[in-house]
Amino acid sequence: MNIDEIFDYTSFSIDREPHIVLDPAVCAGCDQRGCVTCCPARCYTFNEAEKSVTFVYDGCLECGTCYVVCELNAFTRWRYPRGGFGVSFRMT
Amino acid sequence: MKRSFQAIVVGAGPAGASAALGMARAGLDVALVERGNFPGEKAMFGGLLHRLHSLEEIFPDFWNRAPLERYIAKKGTTFMTAGASFHVVSENETLYTPPYNGYTCFRPRFDRWLAEEAERAGATLINRAMVEDVIFKGGKVAGVRILRDGGELEAPVVVAADGALSFTALKAGLRRPKFNIDQVAVGVKALIDLPKDVIDDRFGLSGSQGLANEYVGCTFGIRGGGFIYTNYDSVSVGLVVHLGSLRESGKTPYDLLNDFLDQPQIAKLFKGGRLLEYSAHVIPEGGYDMIPEIVGDGILVTGDAAAFCNVSGVNLEGINLASHSGILAAKTVVEAHERKDFSRKGLSRYRELLEESFVLKDLKTFRHAPHMLHIDRIYETYPELVCSMMAGIYGISGKPKSSISKLVFREVMEKVGIKNVMSDVLTAWRAL
Repeated sequence: MNIDEIFDYTSFSIDREPHIVLDPAVCAGCDQRGCVTCCPARCYTFNEAEKSVTFVYDGCLECGTCYVVCELNAFTRWRYPRGGFGVSFRMT
Repeated sequence: MKRSFQAIVVGAGPAGASAALGMARAGLDVALVERGNFPGEKAMFGGLLHRLHSLEEIFPDFWNRAPLERYIAKKGTTFMTAGASFHVVSENETLYTPPYNGYTCFRPRFDRWLAEEAERAGATLINRAMVEDVIFKGGKVAGVRILRDGGELEAPVVVAADGALSFTALKAGLRRPKFNIDQVAVGVKALIDLPKDVIDDRFGLSGSQGLANEYVGCTFGIRGGGFIYTNYDSVSVGLVVHLGSLRESGKTPYDLLNDFLDQPQIAKLFKGGRLLEYSAHVIPEGGYDMIPEIVGDGILVTGDAAAFCNVSGVNLEGINLASHSGILAAKTVVEAHERKDFSRKGLSRYRELLEESFVLKDLKTFRHAPHMLHIDRIYETYPELVCSMMAGIYGISGKPKSSISKLVFREVMEKVGIKNVMSDVLTAWRAL
């Protein structure tokens, strides 16, 4: 079996503000971009034209991968969402 | 809002809830702080809960009280390639009766139950509270600050049980700001819905029996492996891959998981199944050498926050170490309250208790296992070798057979080379 819609069955309560914020200047100077391939939730995308990385926080599984994978410490903020917000596992 | 307690536990997972339970049972006024809407909401694991001796001491009928799915009756290991597999399974009737060796469970249920037991014993559970910072007084940890409303909780001692990334330990100056990418893995998991009788038939189970099966060779040479754990009427299937190796590969974890599910021998196990939930989390896999400072002035570090994961390549143990370290932290805090000494020295008993227990003993025994798990041949070459050897041994080609020893020798020489085999056997021997 192959799960196309793998991201669609996890529940979230989305906060107004992101819990992870990138420093675009740092990301612009990165040619590794481990965040883009390693993130299990596909939250990071690389824009070839603008040479920029964007992070979409509302599907974040709060797994910690990007925190470990980023060599340049490109985060101006890396914390978990405020209490009560973010991913909400029902079973797992 | 400012509240005072005799102890604060950050994180209501198995380590934190065990710590709070131990302290509350000894009569301490303890706060158990959880960032989720309820304990377990943020918890992710493969699905296998090894036997918890420390909780069995508190709950002698643990298996009747805790919300568990199945007990582990079968343990399998599978060497796999894109099209072939070689499978060994260990089953023993002694595993069919309590005390059971392990279980499958759902963390949003299990963690919630354990935290509620802590509450019942007198702990104060504070949900929806994300700890933002550690409060210092006179150079000692004296509480935590909550992000939600800037509230402060004060206590002479804090137990960090906030998981693999432990920002509590970081802010207390006990863990290094940067992780070594080669000491951390990520687990990704799909929970697949299947009827109970289908699970029983496909995996050879009956009643509440469960299977824990690990897979090697299913990660395209990336360091890591796969797992299948059967729940009552669903199955957890996933991969654990080392982050350094994953990043180097340029592959994504969800594509790897889908490829695993597409492997023909895996695909038929999940025929007709439906995805219920997808989850992921990092795992501290560096073993003994990854352990941060676990005792500071006014603070102890437990569970994943202390990197207490035993990854020998055979078992993947975490929650049993977490829960036990929580219980030992509780014992230390109770003693510290008797002496009114919460200094690093006053809390140093925690390290001693851990050294005397299986937690640090096992991590020391398997100290070199992470080194062994960095032999990249384990993840592709050896599974291919095993599968092609078995195909050679069982194959009926219509031509005269070579002896099995000749066949094995030829395969080993072709695929690995004798020097590599010797060196890998030696590394494994040292590690295990």
